[in-house]
Amino acid sequence: MSTILEKLRILSDAAKYDASCSSSGSKRVNTSKGLGNAEGMGICHSYTEDGRCVSLLKILFTNHCIYDCAYCVSRRSNDVKRAAFTVEDVVDLTINFYRRNYIEGLFLSSGIFKNADYTMERLVRVARVLRTQHNFNGYIHVKAIPGASPELLHEAGLYADRLSVNIEIPSEASLQKVAPEKNYNDIITPMNYLRSEKEKYADDKPHIKSAPLFLPAGQSTQLIVGASPENDRHILRLANSLYQQQKLKRVYYSGYVPIATDNRVPDLSAPPLVRENRIYQADWLLRFYGFSVDEIVDEKTPDLDLEIDPKLSYALRHPEKFPVDINRADYEMVLRVPGIGVKSAKKIISSRRHQHLHIDHLQKIGVVLKRARYFINCPGLTIRQGSLQADNVRQAIIASDKAPAAAQLGLFG
Amino acid sequence: MVFIYDGSYEGLLSCIFTIFKNRIVPSAIDIEANRQFTLLDAVTQVATNEEWAARVLKGVDERAGTQASRMLYQLFLSELPLCEMLVYQLVQAIIQKGDASILENFANPYILKAAQIEKMIHREVHRMHAFVRFQKSRDGLFYAAIDPDFNVLPLIGEHFEKRYADQSWLIFDTRRHYGLYYDQNMMDFVSTDDPVFAINANLLQDNSFQDEKEKQYQALWENYFHAVNISERNNTKLHLRHMPRRYWKYLTEKQGLYKR
Repeated sequence: MSTILEKLRILSDAAKYDASCSSSGSKRVNTSKGLGNAEGMGICHSYTEDGRCVSLLKILFTNHCIYDCAYCVSRRSNDVKRAAFTVEDVVDLTINFYRRNYIEGLFLSSGIFKNADYTMERLVRVARVLRTQHNFNGYIHVKAIPGASPELLHEAGLYADRLSVNIEIPSEASLQKVAPEKNYNDIITPMNYLRSEKEKYADDKPHIKSAPLFLPAGQSTQLIVGASPENDRHILRLANSLYQQQKLKRVYYSGYVPIATDNRVPDLSAPPLVRENRIYQADWLLRFYGFSVDEIVDEKTPDLDLEIDPKLSYALRHPEKFPVDINRADYEMVLRVPGIGVKSAKKIISSRRHQHLHIDHLQKIGVVLKRARYFINCPGLTIRQGSLQADNVRQAIIASDKAPAAAQLGLFG
Repeated sequence: MVFIYDGSYEGLLSCIFTIFKNRIVPSAIDIEANRQFTLLDAVTQVATNEEWAARVLKGVDERAGTQASRMLYQLFLSELPLCEMLVYQLVQAIIQKGDASILENFANPYILKAAQIEKMIHREVHRMHAFVRFQKSRDGLFYAAIDPDFNVLPLIGEHFEKRYADQSWLIFDTRRHYGLYYDQNMMDFVSTDDPVFAINANLLQDNSFQDEKEKQYQALWENYFHAVNISERNNTKLHLRHMPRRYWKYLTEKQGLYKR
């Protein structure tokens, strides 16, 4: 019998490769003078030394597992210490961490012991005890175990803010190679079931005031980057269809950390962090900047440029769309200028109603001029457009990025 | 003309009221203790007047809504040099324009400055939401010490009241020597001579006042914090950008007490 401290070490260490940390987007309000509140913005309570956010108590219920997936540290054939929590262990840790303001809530995943339903039933029980016995309104993210019965998934949806099924390997052919006991159908079935259940509750909501919350923060998934040969275009198209068809709230990307000495997966010397970062940037362009996948990567260039970000890359490939007139162009086009983010674009649109904008205004508003200057028209700008070739601009920007302390990779934003 | 007030927000608003009433252009507004006077300064000391303060706020609210008056209060709480003059300049701009639209013009230097300070305040508020670490006392009170860059305690109470409705808590600003206390019913500011604080002042120093399981949870949390790090991805710069060193002194996971 291991102590709670040993269990926590083993089962948090095994859960750390899951990139999901979000605790936002729920609508759970503390109305009953209970414990916790999960409305609105999520909070990162701490940051580990790798710079990742710690928002939730992220643990496996157990790392015992009947499966033998090559990319996974908890696979059956791997020689690691095994442990399992009890329902009471997890509830007690969650409540006591939450009361001390360490966390926003619980992220509960698990290896599969015995079978899918046996495992899912325990995860659901944790969520049920937290909600019904402890009046807990903090955030709960539970893994939907592929192959679990609809009844259990439904119950999980009533207690959890978010459920997720990880796809992990971005194509079925590759999945067959590294995890022959798994298939896409088992993964997509619970996703589709949960989507349709959530839609049913959403349809009821306007008519039935007491309709319960069902997965208020929706579903998410994770794709591992670099453990299999898929290119960036394949990954982004998959992600895009998950956003469009499965209505996922987030797709997470996890640069493969070579954890498993198993010849079915590549033996990388380091995780592909730059590639992972570029994919996250492309994902942002899909969700917040109105880009389509084909505008970011196409058949000719199926992989993202590792040296420059995908928005700059787009601008360099489309000289006909630039320069953008800061004082006249539509919001959508202003947003496409490298160096102008969502906040700056909005400030530009609201400020120019009051006065004509000069280059000094842009700088003060927060526009990154060392990028934007090549792609805009604005009074006061001292650069001769058109005289600049894409290659030169590219080199100039790369050089200016490297000059003051190489750009940091801000992951998991 | 230099205007002097007592350091309270109502005091600052009273100054602004006086300035408008007498149609004077101020050269500075400051707290008496901060001010190095020269013989050339003409000084007006304004006594705090609740009614005047309320009239200034009403004037702002009627023209630009409560969002604007909230922003003015946040500028004041920044405690930055010249923040008083900025509050005055914004009140003037709002009164002149007659509505809130002036606040959208980020090409105006006062508006831009105010927006930048507001952003810094929001970040500090968000950091306090994240970095407050409660410890549980023997009698069930959850207490925490903070030392924020700006005076944000008045802005964070509502968040904790909603979240911890069923536990008593006390958050104490160790730099500004006052706290916020919630007794599961009401929330109120407390000073060091308040009985609630007098009883609990020991807590911050003396471990024997802790709940018997407090140490155990601190150890679990610190171990958790280290276990979820992926050392292959270590990135100290990013780590420090998110969690600057000056916040570590009250972060349980950064005490290094229980690291294996």
